[in-house]
Amino acid sequence: MNQTKAINPSSVSAGQPAAQPSVGAILWIAWFSVREMARRKRLISLALINLLPVLVVGAIRIWFPGEGITAQMQLASLTYDTFIPFLIPIAAMAVGIPAIGEQVEDGTIVFMWTRPIKRRAIYLGRLFAAQIVSTVLMSGSLVLCFMIMVSEGTSIITFDFLKLYLVTFMIIGLGAFTYSALFAAMGTFFKKPVLPAILLAFGWENLVTNIPARVQELSLRFHLQNLIDRPPAAPNDLPGILGALLSTAFNREPVPKIQSVVVLLAVMLIATVVGIWLLRHKEIEK
Amino acid sequence: MMGAGVGRTEARISADRVGKWFGEVIAVNNCTLSVGTGVVGLLGANGAGKSTLFKMLAGLIEPSHGTVRVFGSKLREDVGWFRRVGFCPESDALPDWMTGREFLSLMLRLMGYDKTEVKRRTDHWLDRFDLTDAAGRRLGGYSKGMRQKIKLAQALAHDPDVIFLDEPLNGMDPVSRKQSIDLVRELGEAGRTILVSSHILPEVESMTHQIILIDRGKVLAEGSVAEIRDKIPEHPTTVALVSADCRGLAGFLIGREHVVGVEVENMPDGDRVIVRTDHALGFYRALPGWILENNLTVDEILTLDDSLEAVFQYLTER
Repeated sequence: MNQTKAINPSSVSAGQPAAQPSVGAILWIAWFSVREMARRKRLISLALINLLPVLVVGAIRIWFPGEGITAQMQLASLTYDTFIPFLIPIAAMAVGIPAIGEQVEDGTIVFMWTRPIKRRAIYLGRLFAAQIVSTVLMSGSLVLCFMIMVSEGTSIITFDFLKLYLVTFMIIGLGAFTYSALFAAMGTFFKKPVLPAILLAFGWENLVTNIPARVQELSLRFHLQNLIDRPPAAPNDLPGILGALLSTAFNREPVPKIQSVVVLLAVMLIATVVGIWLLRHKEIEK
Repeated sequence: MMGAGVGRTEARISADRVGKWFGEVIAVNNCTLSVGTGVVGLLGANGAGKSTLFKMLAGLIEPSHGTVRVFGSKLREDVGWFRRVGFCPESDALPDWMTGREFLSLMLRLMGYDKTEVKRRTDHWLDRFDLTDAAGRRLGGYSKGMRQKIKLAQALAHDPDVIFLDEPLNGMDPVSRKQSIDLVRELGEAGRTILVSSHILPEVESMTHQIILIDRGKVLAEGSVAEIRDKIPEHPTTVALVSADCRGLAGFLIGREHVVGVEVENMPDGDRVIVRTDHALGFYRALPGWILENNLTVDEILTLDDSLEAVFQYLTER
């Protein structure tokens, strides 16, 4: 029997190989993860769902041209009533939930875990990919909407419209990044995360957003919607009447925009930190 | 527990009173072991705790108690050591959307190699495992054996010093199996530490005689098969000696040191002496001297039950 002697840890620490620089690793993982996510079949259904705003804008362009529904009103309403309450959560859910959890569940994460990469870099790379994919999906929809709107004539391209368009991009991006971070953390924590995610996005958010007073501030949707400047609607048209009714009924009190941005960024940050912590303590089962 | 450790040099992998439980189920219980260079087989029946121990050693799961070190460090905390560690998982899960070349390239990229080195190593290891022709195909379309080979390739492509192979030959055809066994032995002889987990005894026996036996979450024995075999007093090793003078030889052996039983067995092709020894190594050392000094004739020596399978059976039935 050959004798063995233990290596003294202190004697090897001087030559300890360093982990990969995190930024490089994050970018490599993100790049391959984007390619992986882009090939998923569910992305096709997601892209089709994201055509909804394009259909609405197209329908308005075809059936109600020049009837007082301005491009700005359309854009603001679509963002407020379609992107924020539905499309952003759905897209973020579809790519955020499986971003990390699925790899842990199917065991393929073992190939990342056995590289000289910190787990936070793996998490951030995967999360970043999910955030990019969900943002790009909705941006594509927004670009198509823009093209249909400007087909009416270049006169609609005013400074205010362009400003609103860019702000809309940013709001959608911020929403996609925040929701994706939240769903990625949920996907890492729960074994079956879909139901809790649906309950959060369409249960809690719906409920809380419609509760009067400051309780509304407990939803991401409220803060995203708070960032939109909806152009004043004519009081006698349908959106105007509905808006006034909702405002009166549910007493949506705006908060300073910077507060909403800070809240969204804080949620994103906390969810990411929690997700990284969860992944650090995760163990391979397969 | 037997032995201080396995392998030829200083311990690269060590576990100190390691245990792991899942709820009320104890998967691994108070295991202490150390592994130096060379190939070492981690053996155990299904459910023995082999996979759990293996994953703890590779830093994939945290022990409930005790410590595991590779190169004196905890892999989970000092991930930089993974530059010198290769891991081939048992699970068949692979990123099926990637091609074999993409997968191997990414794994090498994440090891920190530049583009040229990634390409060189990717080409080399694809070729080594006869996967060059399939390199452009998606992993999802690979056969079980090809998947096993690409998993092995990613574990070896960065020339690690410590290699964990969990059931590495699963699903391989006989030719690939032979090539992989030769490769593992070659790497072991070159001074790498290779821990091979398997429940197929002949598979491990073909790679190494250094083993760690685990059963019901406990390390039963570690060392070479012969050493372990000697430490099973309930089952003396059985040696058959073919001789022209079986009766004379049997008479001489009765009462000798290390000999606990002698009988003459009649076989169709001639008689042979069956010797039971409680210390096979000592018996083998003494036998040539006895033969020379006493003019005994022994034409052939056969060891009947020091195979890995016999050792495994004896240890697990205790």
